[in-house]
Amino acid sequence: MEILRADFPFISLSMILPVVASVFVLALREELSKWIALLGTGLTFLLSLVVVFSFDYSKSGSVQFYEEYTILQELGVKLSLGLDGLSLLMYFLTTLISLVAILWSIRDEQISFRLKEYYVAFLLTETFLVGVFASFDLLVFYVFYELTLIPMLFVIGVWGYKLRLYSAYKFFIYIFFSSLFLLLGIAGVAVEHFFDFGRFSFSYFDALKNSYSLGLEIFLFLLFFIAFAVKTPIVPFHTWLPDAHGEAPTAGSVVLAAILLKMGTYALLRFNVGLFPNATYELMPMLITLGILTIIYASWMTIVQNNVKRFVAYSSVSHMGFVVTAMFLLNEEGLRASIIEMFAHGMTSASLFMIAGFIYHRLHTFNMESLRGSLRFMPLFAVVVATTAFAAMGLPGGSSFWGKFLTVLSAKEYSYYLAFLVLVGAFFSAAYVLYMLKTLFLDFREESILIHFQDVRGFKLSAFVAVIIPILLIGFFPHIFFNMFEGSIDFFLKLFEGLM
Amino acid sequence: MDIKEVIGTIELPKISLFLPELIVLITAFVLFTLDLVLGSKQKRWLLPSLSVIGYVLALLSIVVSSQNWGDTFYGSFTNDPLGAIVKIFALIIAIVMLAFADRYFTAKKSFYGEFYYMLAFTLLGAMILASSYNLIIIYVSLELVSIGFYILTALLRGSFISKEGAFKYLILGGLSIALASYGAVFMYIYAGSIDLREILSYEGSDYHYLILGLVFFLIGFAIKIGAVPFHFWLPDAYQGAPTPVTAFMASVGKLAFFIPVVRIMPLVQEKFSLAWMLTVGVIAAATMLYGNLVALVQKDIKRLLAYSSIAHSGYILAAVAVTKEIGLKAVIYFLVVYAIMSAGAFLVVALLERAQGWSNEIQDFSGLRFNALFLAVAFMVYMFALLGVPPTVGFVGKTLVFMALSFDKLWWLAMIMIVSTAISTGYYVRLVVIMFMKDREKEILPFPKGVTEVVSLVFLTIMTVALAVFPGVIWGLIEPASELLFAR
Repeated sequence: MEILRADFPFISLSMILPVVASVFVLALREELSKWIALLGTGLTFLLSLVVVFSFDYSKSGSVQFYEEYTILQELGVKLSLGLDGLSLLMYFLTTLISLVAILWSIRDEQISFRLKEYYVAFLLTETFLVGVFASFDLLVFYVFYELTLIPMLFVIGVWGYKLRLYSAYKFFIYIFFSSLFLLLGIAGVAVEHFFDFGRFSFSYFDALKNSYSLGLEIFLFLLFFIAFAVKTPIVPFHTWLPDAHGEAPTAGSVVLAAILLKMGTYALLRFNVGLFPNATYELMPMLITLGILTIIYASWMTIVQNNVKRFVAYSSVSHMGFVVTAMFLLNEEGLRASIIEMFAHGMTSASLFMIAGFIYHRLHTFNMESLRGSLRFMPLFAVVVATTAFAAMGLPGGSSFWGKFLTVLSAKEYSYYLAFLVLVGAFFSAAYVLYMLKTLFLDFREESILIHFQDVRGFKLSAFVAVIIPILLIGFFPHIFFNMFEGSIDFFLKLFEGLM
Repeated sequence: MDIKEVIGTIELPKISLFLPELIVLITAFVLFTLDLVLGSKQKRWLLPSLSVIGYVLALLSIVVSSQNWGDTFYGSFTNDPLGAIVKIFALIIAIVMLAFADRYFTAKKSFYGEFYYMLAFTLLGAMILASSYNLIIIYVSLELVSIGFYILTALLRGSFISKEGAFKYLILGGLSIALASYGAVFMYIYAGSIDLREILSYEGSDYHYLILGLVFFLIGFAIKIGAVPFHFWLPDAYQGAPTPVTAFMASVGKLAFFIPVVRIMPLVQEKFSLAWMLTVGVIAAATMLYGNLVALVQKDIKRLLAYSSIAHSGYILAAVAVTKEIGLKAVIYFLVVYAIMSAGAFLVVALLERAQGWSNEIQDFSGLRFNALFLAVAFMVYMFALLGVPPTVGFVGKTLVFMALSFDKLWWLAMIMIVSTAISTGYYVRLVVIMFMKDREKEILPFPKGVTEVVSLVFLTIMTVALAVFPGVIWGLIEPASELLFAR
């Protein structure tokens, strides 16, 4: 991997900005906190736009804007931050969704107490997430990966719905337990580097040079895999997700589904595929099976959900199944599908959770049955719902179309049976989306109850617009996004040249 | 023998090597005398301030004593980087702890002058224990520390659990010292020397004496550090002792009792690497699993932290099992930072105990954020640190242990450590959750906190994070310490 050093510390600046904003939030009056948070995330988003436009797309496989600060020379720990094409996309996703989450929270009725802590939690989450996606040092990556847990624990536990304490507790224990395996794996990689080169190093670039015996490589792969499989989540490690996503406040669910799940898939690609290509190749059938299982099982579970938030949560799991399946097919289309689907799902799931939140504001229930026909009286909102739902379903012109279409294409290269199974999964995902649309739009409803409802407007509308624009952009102009990470795909494919 | 020859062999002790110990010794005697002479009014402010002055001077004198390393008193006292690290942190924690002691005892409606000089003697014992290879010196300083702890534990004379804890500690502590000294005798039989370095590098034929000696010696120390199955005294003593004393026992006590084991670690491993790895590994696994499992069901916060202390002995022992230099570094780092974390956690409890209606039950913590935000945040930092969440020292400690274990390919022990850490999530995170996410169940009145207490607590909390984010500060001390030990 080529490294291009930064002329200006863009990444550390976009990590420091939210921290500065949260200091101001803590220092100033409580009523001001939402505006400071909005300013902080807004500025960070603008900064990320600058980064996106000054990124050199002809070298998207190399690490750009690279900064390095030594933490401990003797153990080879460095705070090394940089962006390649893949990280860039995730970085942009983070800043965008953080802004959306704040935009939504401004008028969220659930958020009526302990405002300072709430906004600080979101601002810090943004910092940590940028750290996760920009770190090219395994230990520093782990630090940020774990740190995102703490603000999320608070967001779920303090501002969540009925089962918030149980869900927060479960969320923390699941993720923390699984990531301990990751820590052992990272320690193992650093020690292997010592055996090969005589010094400890946690650097990603150094880890790429390590050579392992196959048994050890598979062992380390599995240590990493357990952590990311729980985070992603891959069935059967998904049971924390419906609780956490279902009980978190809307903005919390948005961040959880749109970005925190991507930490899992991003890391699977970056670390599992990148560092252990031989093990990945050996375990490919198992991994693809798990991916397909995730798609189909989660789609089934989605159809029977009665709670709108849990419905969206399970649909997230099934989308992650597509990402994982496509990723471990290990061909060009597959990787492209996987990465674009990560970003696309970020947009659609954010929108879907905000839809669920909006419905809750109006009707004070998440129960699917009592929402029947409720959308007839909110035309603008209905447009939002329809756009998002069709995009999530994979209709051409929507964001998930490319992910699903390319997954089928790449699965076909592997085997036609597999392509068929992916199509079955896609069919089920269409089924649950249509079921939701039918319930919300077409079922009969007494008009008198709903006629007074206000349509979506103001900050909430702007939050919806902020995610729907990218949804349509991906749908109609996918090449903009494909160009972003073309180089990264080449980098990963090169690792498998001798094997496939 | 000619008298001149005898005089020729007399070596003058080099004061610069044991200056910190000397200052603490003088402080102890001054405190002791003043406690006899003065009236209780003057004692109240003179004894704590004199102790602090003494400890600060001792801390400063480490700068002098670290100018040159070496042995004195005919090789029975060793001044080396490892000892220096222990002394620095033991003194810091003693100073911090003194900030809490006076108000704590006032709230318990009692004042004990002997607290101050017993503390000084215990500290002296810990410092000597950390800097000797000589069996006799180890024995004497071990007794000094232990007797200090027995008395300090029983300080709250009116309290039944205080007496019970001290009595249990006395009996099992006595057993441990008996075993350790019995082991020392066997080692002397084997090599005809009382210097551990000479014993372990001696190539004798009566190997079984060495093994027998080492086993007894190490069991003695296993009792002191609370390794399973020798841990029974620990929760009772920790619960019964006045809480500032518990903080001191959990931090400085553990630090000091581990050091002789750390010292002989590289020497023993050279001889019995596989047996050492297995025995210590199994004890470590049992200790961490048992400590964490039992901590899950505790209702008293001090007992909970005591079991967490047992579990941490297990984590540290896991690194002791490793036969490479990285293991030694992990042990030293983890010991030092555990001292800081546990001292902090117990001192928060010591503060809270002053509040009216506080009963040390876990439920008392619910909604603590609304009554004492500062204490709740500090306690959260310690809980996350003990759990090993980044960026705290507990996390760096666990990373180092994992690195050490993967160096020796002790994967099974690493897996047990992962499982037991996951178990510990149950109680650490529960405390965070009930502090920050539940409403108050019981009204607990706010109470005045002294400036020194707040400053000390802030200091410990910052250290808990800073030593992890900037590990270079402490690594500069650990690196020479472990290299020097490993070179032998």
